[in-house]
Amino acid sequence: MSRYLVWVAAAVVLAAAGYVLAPFFFSSASRPGGPAGLAGETAPVFPLRDDRGADVSLDRYRGRVVLMNLWASWCPPCRAEMPDLQRLADAHAGAQLAIVGVNEGESPQRAREFADSLRIRFPIWVDGAQRYGRTYTALGLPTTVVLDRRGIVVRGFDGALTYAQMESAVAPLMEAH
Amino acid sequence: MIGFAAAALAVAAAAIVEILVPGQGLYHAGWFNVLLAALVVVTFVAGRRYYRRAARSRTRIATLVLVAGTAIAGLAAVTSGLFGPDNQTLIGAPGQRIRVESLGVLAFPLPSGDGAAMQSVTLERPLHASVAIGERGRDAGSFILHAIARDVVYVEARDLRGNRLTVTQPAGTAFLSPVLLMQHRQTIAGLDVPYDSFNVPALRRIVKAILFSPAQAAMMLHGGAHSGEPAVLFAVDDENERPLPHAIALSAGGRAARAADLSLRGSVAVYPAVEVVAAPNLLAAIAGALLVLGGAVALIQRPATTARTFLRTMLPSESSMPLGGST
Repeated sequence: MSRYLVWVAAAVVLAAAGYVLAPFFFSSASRPGGPAGLAGETAPVFPLRDDRGADVSLDRYRGRVVLMNLWASWCPPCRAEMPDLQRLADAHAGAQLAIVGVNEGESPQRAREFADSLRIRFPIWVDGAQRYGRTYTALGLPTTVVLDRRGIVVRGFDGALTYAQMESAVAPLMEAH
Repeated sequence: MIGFAAAALAVAAAAIVEILVPGQGLYHAGWFNVLLAALVVVTFVAGRRYYRRAARSRTRIATLVLVAGTAIAGLAAVTSGLFGPDNQTLIGAPGQRIRVESLGVLAFPLPSGDGAAMQSVTLERPLHASVAIGERGRDAGSFILHAIARDVVYVEARDLRGNRLTVTQPAGTAFLSPVLLMQHRQTIAGLDVPYDSFNVPALRRIVKAILFSPAQAAMMLHGGAHSGEPAVLFAVDDENERPLPHAIALSAGGRAARAADLSLRGSVAVYPAVEVVAAPNLLAAIAGALLVLGGAVALIQRPATTARTFLRTMLPSESSMPLGGST
């Protein structure tokens, strides 16, 4: 009986030790910084307006793969990347892929002039308060985030992408349909 | 017996005090934790001896409970003291998520609009429900967290035609945040004031923003600020950090001010930061302390029962001399 009690007490102390020590030794693996660290999380949705003043929301794109590109007109890599984004949009026209350009912090007029100068036809949204840039933990511009059909962030990229990188980012999600 | 019970009570008391008065540097001191560990060892060694000598099972159980409680409370206290990080204040940008080692993710709220009411920072942990962190301390396993209200400045930059311009903070907590967290301090005319800086890349400008409280603004800036309103002083440099002409302006009460070729507006808002303090695991410390207390009470009661047993053996029958109470 006594020996049994000693073992019970030892087991209780050991269990308590595991409970107390576990957080210090088995904490979850740290995620990469920047937009890549958002993979697996639900993309935040903020009501915005597009460059022509119409109300827009990411919610309307549920059921489609979304490639969201954060950009600004003063950013040379953003300008360089835009034609490839339009090319990707053209290549998947009619498919379940939506490409959205989100201008960070500028006025709608400036965003529209910029898009017109590059003959961009995919939707351009204006995020004056830079909320997407903040929640996607953008490290710079451009920043690109790929969402699956449920609105979950699948991949995040810091910096300009090539056309091949864009294709390889969306292709698995398009095939998964 | 009194010696090792006292050592056990001291360990339990230390664990509880660390929770009630958290964040003291003493708790992380090596000698303090060695002392606690030594008290646990003394309790264990003396308790083992006492356990072996004890004639009654009640005494043995009480001793076991006391020693186990001491081990649990001591483990909680020493683990926190040795492995817990020093006190830290986590200042996050609105919308930012900060991962804290051994704790979880702190999600800083994104106000729905300029001037919106302050929301709470949320702690997200695996296998736990998300909890809002308020100004009162919140226990989170081996940590105690509480929110601290800080002044931040929401800035808006426009060109002289009124077009809004992107604000970036290359050296800030969040690159694309227009909210300045004002983490730096400098002394101006004897006043200790917070400041921060941001870039307006479209015009290649670097802007320093200095925040004056309403009282400081009234004292420092004659005629520039209205009494009772905080003010933000902007100083605009070019991209090489060379000052520009007419590049200093004051934005008081959230009104726009022109500096160099920019129209700048600074709105002061209150935003939460989170102070994180390591503390003994609450559940373990309380469980340990209760076990110690229970064991100590049971042991202290022992002499009375022993005396009663002695009397029983000496007297002819229990009914002839009622003792009262039960054994």
